[in-house]
Amino acid sequence: MNARALIVWSLAGLVVALSTTNPIYRALIALIAVNVLRTWSRPEQDLRFLVRAIAFTTVGAVFLNVAVGHLGDTALISLPGGWPVIGGPWTLESIAYGSDAALGLAAAVLVVAPLSYVLEPAELVDALPKVLERAGIVVAAALNLVPGIGRSFGQVRDAQTMRGWRPAGLRSWADVIVPVAITAVEGSLELAEAMESRAFGSGPRSRYAPRAWRLRDSIVVVVSVAAIALAVWARAAGVAVDWYPYPGLSIPPVSPAMFVAALLPAVAIWP
Amino acid sequence: MSDALASLDDLSYWYPGEIPALVDVNLELEPGLTVVVGPSGGGKSSLLRLFNGLIPHFHGGRIGGTATVFGHDVSRTATRVLARDVGFVFQDPERQVVYGSVEREVAFGLENLGIGRAAMVLRVGAALERLGLEGLRDRRVGTLSGGERQRVAIASVLAMAPRLIVLDEPTSELDASGEAAVLDGCLDLAAGGTAILIAEHRLERLVPVATSFVRLAGGRVDAPAGRPILVGPPARLRPPAARSASADQPAWSTDQLVVGPGGIPLVSCGGLSGQPGEVLALTGANGSGKTTLLRAIAGLLPPLSGSVDRLPGRTAYLPQDPGALLHRPSLLAEVLWTLERAATNRPGPARGQGELEAAGRAALAEFGLAELAERDPRDLSAGERQRGALAVILAGNPAIALLDEPTRGMDELARRSLARVLDRLRADGCSVVVATHDRDLVAEVADRVLVIADGRVTESEPPTVGPVLEAKAS
Repeated sequence: MNARALIVWSLAGLVVALSTTNPIYRALIALIAVNVLRTWSRPEQDLRFLVRAIAFTTVGAVFLNVAVGHLGDTALISLPGGWPVIGGPWTLESIAYGSDAALGLAAAVLVVAPLSYVLEPAELVDALPKVLERAGIVVAAALNLVPGIGRSFGQVRDAQTMRGWRPAGLRSWADVIVPVAITAVEGSLELAEAMESRAFGSGPRSRYAPRAWRLRDSIVVVVSVAAIALAVWARAAGVAVDWYPYPGLSIPPVSPAMFVAALLPAVAIWP
Repeated sequence: MSDALASLDDLSYWYPGEIPALVDVNLELEPGLTVVVGPSGGGKSSLLRLFNGLIPHFHGGRIGGTATVFGHDVSRTATRVLARDVGFVFQDPERQVVYGSVEREVAFGLENLGIGRAAMVLRVGAALERLGLEGLRDRRVGTLSGGERQRVAIASVLAMAPRLIVLDEPTSELDASGEAAVLDGCLDLAAGGTAILIAEHRLERLVPVATSFVRLAGGRVDAPAGRPILVGPPARLRPPAARSASADQPAWSTDQLVVGPGGIPLVSCGGLSGQPGEVLALTGANGSGKTTLLRAIAGLLPPLSGSVDRLPGRTAYLPQDPGALLHRPSLLAEVLWTLERAATNRPGPARGQGELEAAGRAALAEFGLAELAERDPRDLSAGERQRGALAVILAGNPAIALLDEPTRGMDELARRSLARVLDRLRADGCSVVVATHDRDLVAEVADRVLVIADGRVTESEPPTVGPVLEAKAS
């Protein structure tokens, strides 16, 4: 898929997922995004990190809301009121609200994830306006250094451990963090040297091979713009009903307009 | 009229901080293959960086005399302008990659030059073909071997059609097969008429075909430099028959060991062991598991099954990147850090600061670094840093020494000093394991050789010592 078409699609997903608190629309967007990732991700991409990060965030959001919310009619347990922050009833409604917030976050992350998992950094750079192109290249090049920094951290920790270093408080980590930071700076300087040596910044650039624009890209853009327009209209017209689980749980209402807006981005799933 | 591509006249250069790197260099660079030789820290990298203006424009500092490259005054011409005529390939293939895919990486320089799309496609294809990389066009650079990555770096430069390609020890990070692939690629380019200027320690392939040599030491050029000559194999430090395998108890041993990163088995071995006073070489292709096994012996990587036992005493460990060890303000401070920690774990009376400092200076002197004791390790050449890292970890008589590619970036003299230190460690009863691709080092010092292939460890005969080339005038 062309980078510009995918950017518009991500924007549509974000608008729908974040314009209401209704979990039905959010869940639809999240499901569509998962399928886009499964269909279009580059073969070497490993989605496990993304899944773990979302799971961790979800658990954290739910726990935080339950532990500090104390709202809702259906108390599951009750901690002594004298306990700071966490004291009070832990309710089913708080769990539902925390889950909805986590779902919104997950949907937002999942619709943006294809920009990293589907596109090459070079394709994103190609999609940037000329004025941002050089900055984009610098960011893309810097991203190439990230795996090296991870490896460097492991090497430094190993090397220092074998010389007698042991973690003992925050300050002791300076013996690991400082070499890693210095190595990262050196790496970025060497990369800058290499870029300069290949004429980076010497004048107007040309572009090697921006991915061709196909009919499918046009369809994705048109449908995504329609989804954005529908969601904005539904919000403005007051038909995009939000959902709150307090004081008691209820089934989320469904607006046909918002439902369609949430369904439209599915056009990107078909290869 | 001279057909020199570049000329340096009374050229001197000081890095910021007034450290002189080049002194009164006079040089005319002719077409063909020119090889820059000389000891580590002699100024080779600085000299090469003059030809595309990285010195002085990127590194700053002060320059004296004149440098002219293809008619451009280097001190007045930016690197990005000189890049149209001079391509540059760096030591570390990992740190010069801008884009993720091979094809886009090769096209990067052309995009910067504003070349039209149709011409770019042709030039990228031609460069990939010239370096034998057509089959890797769509691959991610991160999935390539070191040798392949370095050839991609050369192709990236070649695509820009420079009149001169400069290579700064392009094989120092590579194994034997990567080294052969890169040097053969350079030789093909030279044979095809591209001017090549290369600094390299491995001279065997280059010497027969090079058109000229530049010998650089202490920042000065010896003129004229003769063709390096064969000086014959170094004496074996210890014949295999005399190996010390009679100790009662091994310094370390494994039992039904299975290890691998991320919980995935990579190497399995039944009963390996290393004796006190023995040098054991660990060889195998890139990715075969040498570092993994070394880390397991060190206790840094928990076994997936089986066990590793070590005798009490300090275990010294050299990682592949010496930068992982060197971050204090001076080499001496770095060595003292090791000695202080070793002293706190050592039985017996505490050692005074004076005694520790004397031991630290002796450790540095053993690797020929006495004069660099007060220098910031980050200001040193790659070879000096590697020797510094070795001095840092081997200070204080370790019981076990585990060295991962210790000859990286080293010239022949430094390699011999390492061989002497390994001999001394053996005499002191240290059990040494060297993971290396360096066949000459293995031939010179190893009592036993272990080869890792297909996840299994087998014992092999030490190789014979090959001819050694030294940059001496013929």
